[in-house]
Amino acid sequence: MASNPMQQFTVHRIGPEIKIAGIDLSFTNASLFMVISATVIILFLFLGSKEKKIIPDKLQLISEMFYTFVAKMISDTAGSKAKPYFPFIFSLFMFVLFCNMVGMLPYSFTVTSHIIVTLIMALFIFIAVTIIGFMKHGFKYLSIFVPSGVPAVLLPLITIIEIISYLSRPVSLSVRLFANMMAGHTMLKVFGGFVVSLGILGGWLPLSFSVALTGLEILVAFLQAYVFAILTCIYLNDALNLHH
Amino acid sequence: MTIPEDFKTRLKIAKSKIKKQFDNDDEKRRSFMGSAFKLGTELVAAVAVGTIIGFILDTLFDTKPWLIIIFFFLGAAAGMLNVIRAANRMQKED
Repeated sequence: MASNPMQQFTVHRIGPEIKIAGIDLSFTNASLFMVISATVIILFLFLGSKEKKIIPDKLQLISEMFYTFVAKMISDTAGSKAKPYFPFIFSLFMFVLFCNMVGMLPYSFTVTSHIIVTLIMALFIFIAVTIIGFMKHGFKYLSIFVPSGVPAVLLPLITIIEIISYLSRPVSLSVRLFANMMAGHTMLKVFGGFVVSLGILGGWLPLSFSVALTGLEILVAFLQAYVFAILTCIYLNDALNLHH
Repeated sequence: MTIPEDFKTRLKIAKSKIKKQFDNDDEKRRSFMGSAFKLGTELVAAVAVGTIIGFILDTLFDTKPWLIIIFFFLGAAAGMLNVIRAANRMQKED
């Protein structure tokens, strides 16, 4: 069973082919796992917040922990002005986290290991933050590209560098999540392949590596969701509180 | 009655211990490999974006290959700026 370690990332169609105006809108395994993650989140939070006990049970405790975790993250990084954006950041964090975690189950598919998924999320955040910045500050928002205390000779150069730095945000945001997830899952598959090919005599070493890597991957899955959400908060902070 | 006071000081000590433990845990969690990877992507992304902008402007103004070279270096500068900012942010968090 020498299977290709990249095979786990193939997207294939489930059910009938749906084509609208030349665009393939068929239901794939990627869409299936997005639906699964969303359903798990909704069920989990619904059951967690159904009975508002004073002494919470485990489910309620965990969902309240998620709530306070994200609320604290937003107030720490973006201040009180970012409160209205809590629902967006919370759902973003939960979606990325649950996609990563559902991807950790055997035979499942990791949605976030595809650059197109992460890039769309990052571009959405980038465009939304830019629009929010212009809505709050008007054309004064452009002063984000002009740092204070720069000599006039260097100003055009610095401005161009700042613009490139600003435009690189969605790229680094999406590539980070995608690369982490894809690299981790490929590693897991490669070590799994070693276990099979070395057999019962030599397979124990890669098996122990595999176990350790699984633990690491769960950590990475959480960490990347956290990083994704906190960077969104930081970008939002730049848009809401103009200061240099 | 010395017991309440004694209890209070004991509570204080226990609370500070818990707080210290929490702080330590936080530090450990942050210093993981995630931060190293974060800086790498910051650098590469800016270089890539700079080069792409250079390429687009080159085809627009028909000045191959000058703008792509200039914007490659500007992108590298922007990447370093990104890395410095991210590192500052990490330091502030700790």
